[in-house]
Amino acid sequence: MFRLVRRLGPLKPTTLLKSRFYSGAQPKPPNTDILIKSLIFTAGSIVGGYLYSSEVQQSTKSTLPIDQVTSPEYANKEQLAQAIEAVKKVFRKNTPDYDESLIINSSQEDKDSHSDTYFNSYHPEPNEEPQYVIYPRSTEEVSEVLKICNKYKVPVVPITGKSSLEGHFINTRRGVCIDISLMDEVIELNQQDLDIKVQAGLGWETLADYLSEYNLLFPIDPGPGASIGGICANNASGTNASRYGECYKNVLSLTVVLADGTIIKTKNRPRKSSAGYNLNSLFIGSEGTLGIITEATLKLYVKPKIERVAVVPFKSIQDAANSVNSYLLNGMQLNAIELLDDKMMSCINASGETSRKWTEAPTLFLKIGGSNDKVVQSTVDQVKTLSSQHNSIDFQFARNDEETEELWSARKVALWSTINQGRVTDPSIKLWTTDAAVPISKLPQFLEETKEDIANNGLENTLVAHIGDGNAHSFILYKPDQYKLAEKVVDNMVRRAIAYEGTCTGEHGVGLGKRQFLLEEVGGDAVDLMRNIKLHLDPSRILNPDKIFQIDPKESRSH
Amino acid sequence: MFKRVIIGTGFLTTGLLCYQYGRTRPHSSFIPPDMFPSGSTTSLPKISPPVYANDSQFHQAINKLKDILKEDQIKDSKVEIEYHTRNEFTPHEPGANDKPRVVVYPHSTEEVSQIMKILNDYKVPVVPFSGGTSLEGHFFSTRQGVVLDTSKMNKILAVNYDDLDVVVQAGVNWVKLNESLKPDNLMIGSDCGPDGLISGMINTNASGINASKYGAMISNVINLTVVLPDGTIIKTKQRPRKTSSGYSLTHLFIGSEGTLGIVTEATLKLHPIPKFETVIVGQFPSLLDSTNTVSQIYRNGIHPNAIELLDADMMHCINYSGYFSKEWDEVPTLYFKIGGLTPTMVEEQVKVLKDISLKNNCTNFIKAKDKEEAEELFSARKNAFYAILNYGKNEINEDVRLWVTDIAVPLSKLSPVLNEINTMIRKSGLQSIILAHAGDANFHCDVFYRESEKEKCEALINEMMDLGLANEGTSSGEHGIGNGKRNFLVKELGQDTVDFMRRIKLAVDPNRIMNPDKIFKIDPEDDGPY
Ligand SMILES: Cc1cc2nc3c(=O)[nH]c(=O)nc-3n(C[C@H](O)[C@H](O)[C@H](O)COP(=O)(O)OP(=O)(O)OC[C@H]3O[C@@H](n4cnc5c(N)ncnc54)[C@H](O)[C@@H]3O)c2cc1C
Ligand SMILES: Cc1cc2nc3c(=O)[nH]c(=O)nc-3n(C[C@H](O)[C@H](O)[C@H](O)COP(=O)(O)OP(=O)(O)OC[C@H]3O[C@@H](n4cnc5c(N)ncnc54)[C@H](O)[C@@H]3O)c2cc1C
Repeated sequence: MFRLVRRLGPLKPTTLLKSRFYSGAQPKPPNTDILIKSLIFTAGSIVGGYLYSSEVQQSTKSTLPIDQVTSPEYANKEQLAQAIEAVKKVFRKNTPDYDESLIINSSQEDKDSHSDTYFNSYHPEPNEEPQYVIYPRSTEEVSEVLKICNKYKVPVVPITGKSSLEGHFINTRRGVCIDISLMDEVIELNQQDLDIKVQAGLGWETLADYLSEYNLLFPIDPGPGASIGGICANNASGTNASRYGECYKNVLSLTVVLADGTIIKTKNRPRKSSAGYNLNSLFIGSEGTLGIITEATLKLYVKPKIERVAVVPFKSIQDAANSVNSYLLNGMQLNAIELLDDKMMSCINASGETSRKWTEAPTLFLKIGGSNDKVVQSTVDQVKTLSSQHNSIDFQFARNDEETEELWSARKVALWSTINQGRVTDPSIKLWTTDAAVPISKLPQFLEETKEDIANNGLENTLVAHIGDGNAHSFILYKPDQYKLAEKVVDNMVRRAIAYEGTCTGEHGVGLGKRQFLLEEVGGDAVDLMRNIKLHLDPSRILNPDKIFQIDPKESRSH
Repeated sequence: MFKRVIIGTGFLTTGLLCYQYGRTRPHSSFIPPDMFPSGSTTSLPKISPPVYANDSQFHQAINKLKDILKEDQIKDSKVEIEYHTRNEFTPHEPGANDKPRVVVYPHSTEEVSQIMKILNDYKVPVVPFSGGTSLEGHFFSTRQGVVLDTSKMNKILAVNYDDLDVVVQAGVNWVKLNESLKPDNLMIGSDCGPDGLISGMINTNASGINASKYGAMISNVINLTVVLPDGTIIKTKQRPRKTSSGYSLTHLFIGSEGTLGIVTEATLKLHPIPKFETVIVGQFPSLLDSTNTVSQIYRNGIHPNAIELLDADMMHCINYSGYFSKEWDEVPTLYFKIGGLTPTMVEEQVKVLKDISLKNNCTNFIKAKDKEEAEELFSARKNAFYAILNYGKNEINEDVRLWVTDIAVPLSKLSPVLNEINTMIRKSGLQSIILAHAGDANFHCDVFYRESEKEKCEALINEMMDLGLANEGTSSGEHGIGNGKRNFLVKELGQDTVDFMRRIKLAVDPNRIMNPDKIFKIDPEDDGPY
């Protein structure tokens, strides 16, 4: 019945009278009894009449459970071909002579690179790849392309740096990929206002280089190659977040192209605003499912005049955590508070990547900034005192820039030294970068139990945590044939975080890999609200289908 | 043939009947929910006016409420109605009929949910209400429905010291909350009018003096419990400090002014009260000198806990009030709070601050000698509002009123905008003061007017708003849009952006019962100018 009605299509009285519902039920029943016919007509007119009367909303509910939607219908082969023709026309109009392969590409190489990466924890099925990769060059082009895709119902996966980790950009519907990476310019730097407007394809490392000339910084520092679009889409953060906050706190305004091609700007450029809904935060973390971000105005900070690193090993993770707690309760503002566990430290030692040998114990890496040496020294003294009250074993402190670099280098090589160590035993070794966050007081127990569980399952692992935010990553090494085992311990870890009032992802996002956990974390009703919002903003469900939550009742994945 | 006509008329009539039925029936379950309007935005002319409960449906709904609520939870006395109709601060008055018919006081999230289910079934408009201190007609009962007052839900549920967060019911007053946290040296990050409650602050994304340091409400909330218009209860997150799990529903509700759901509980971030803090006052010959000082302080990596700017007129009011032993120069004046872990850290910052101020022609640089003096100095800022009212009543007119604006612009535009505003005001012949949260370049130009000058004042305010928007600013830095600034929101963000917000609203609240007519229009027949 639902299906039948949906097929009535646009709610015009004429369509109702012409009633196409035969096509929905059965192919033209020959000469059916007039009674049945009229019954069907009556049913049709009941529903139709009702629907027509309430022009705008059919539902009176705020949420949309998955079992109340029908499967989305996307473009077939011909429609896709037509859409691509139309996109080509747009590009040709905008640039009469151009190398088409640079902006619309269907080579296998491009398809592959836009489907999966080494680091991804969740991988595509063999045929889950884009049919085309499209590289628009301006907000207007993105808009024109989306208008076409929306018209033909072509599924669209937006991509920038391709460094996301949970199968975020798997082309589950074999549509197109819109790669924003050609849009990588700085549009305007406002030094006095400490903000900058950039295109969404700009990589954070490039931005950091650009800003360092002005002694400024944008604090979000996720994976290599990540770009502003993907950073916003994932609400990314990193080592700087305990000081400057995650992505959403550092964005003033976004330019977004909606599913139907409409271009909106979420805000002007003031530092704060209470004008209307917080659309910034709606798009930040929406993983490309609500719109394509093409420009962003970002908050900037002045680089600390002086920044030093302290490295403090502790007897136990609990001691390290207590120590962090005492810093925070004392109102200390450290620029980074990172924890590396004993295994991580021994891994770094084994790698020989740094010039020092480290104590193989849970260790805090702290960045301490200030406007002059006196201020920094005064903080360092306090950190030292508080740490020793919580069983610190040692206190290494960099006295100059060189030493600062050297001490921090250990934090920098953490991930790679884990991989390298794994490759020593098995060259085909894989690494699972996990991500969960809990309230800080629950972190020690959470970490101890997680480490124990992974070890009991016979897998090697190291651990780094953005401990100031209660956000932890276990790097789990597994051989290709141990995938299921790795998956099991990761699932345990995430469920444990949820049980401790935490979240299934502190910074990487949900993608395809964590949909089930999102449900467990916030509950069915909250997810049903998300789905309701999604389907109202993207009624044809073309934008990054199947991510964050299910949009198709017939689709079944274990996650 | 005859048969066909009969059948034809038959289903036409059925169709018509059902059309009527559909219009009036409160809700239905046989409609396919995934039949969504196309496109991503909803423009006003495309929708029909909302249809709300008629009198008899309204009374049925109220009777059902009476079944679940105690007598003292459901009120319609004159006093109650009047209190929930307006406050004295709102320049745009509610319409003559814009009054609630009934006020309900739920005690728990579950009660709110039960209430909302009934109200949604009967399509009764509902205005959420907490402290009643909002300034733009946020809680006007434009549709004469029910006011749902969450102020009785005022318990502090848990203080998690080790996690630096606090779980509260939404009706807690922020001043009281801070008082109860003070013995543990903790505070919440946002502030607003002294009688504001957490739920109101969440719904206006409030901020104030502390925002340049701790951010607005949006930076200070960890999770919310919200009752959706259809009664569904959701909790937006658990209690992690940070998360990337799905849409940020927490932030969707912050600043939504009661148009998307009722906030019943919240977990807020806590901050340690700065161990050492001092107050600095700097007086400057011009606005530009003062704003240059602010921007250079930031450029030097110094983040004061507060940076407030009071203009010459405001300083005049303060002198006039006689609250202080000291007579101030009547020039633009900056008030700073500088905090740190140790006295050295405070001192070091003060040195830099002084240096920068003097370079920018600061004529009077005062640092509080001790805690008492710090408090006294800052009390000038704290009591500004009363000083203003006092001045206005005595010097202008007993019945003088104050039109409060709330514009924010990029910092570099603050002084040119303020200078231009001063010119506008001189020209208009009205008097005003300017108070700014200078760290965020959010300023309140508050204009005195008598009833007879209302139109003139209104024109002036509108001109000011346009000026702010022309300078990449916002029509509201912290108070919200309410019923009084809807047109400026369109000017600020464009029709498409507002149409997008309207689409979200209609998705979450299909019957349009939640705080109707706020932030943007929801009725094509609404011809209000603002
Ligand atoms: C070694 C390594 C370390 C990492 N460390 C961190 C870390 O410390 N902190 C952290 O937060 N993350 C980290 N990550 C994860 C990753 O870098 C972040 O998730 C990052 O935000 C992804 O950005 P991207 O540009 O690569 O996005 P992509 O991978 O290209 O896309 C990510 C998501 O955003 C969507 N998207 C992309 N562009 C747009 C757009 N323009 N508009 C709308 N949606 C869009 C995509 O559809 C997808 O859902 C790490 C990854 C790696 C490989
Ligand atoms: C003297 C004075 C000084 C002020 N100073 C500041 C300032 O410095 N900074 C600042 O930001 N503001 C300031 N304000 C404005 C005001 O205090 C804030 O807007 C405050 O956040 C309003 O809170 P309230 O509890 O009074 O909310 P109300 O006025 O009761 O309601 C505000 C809005 O929230 C909605 N709402 C209320 N409760 C709920 C709920 N439970 N669920 C959903 N929606 C709800 C209402 O429908 C309404 O739209 C000031 C006001 C005054 C009178």
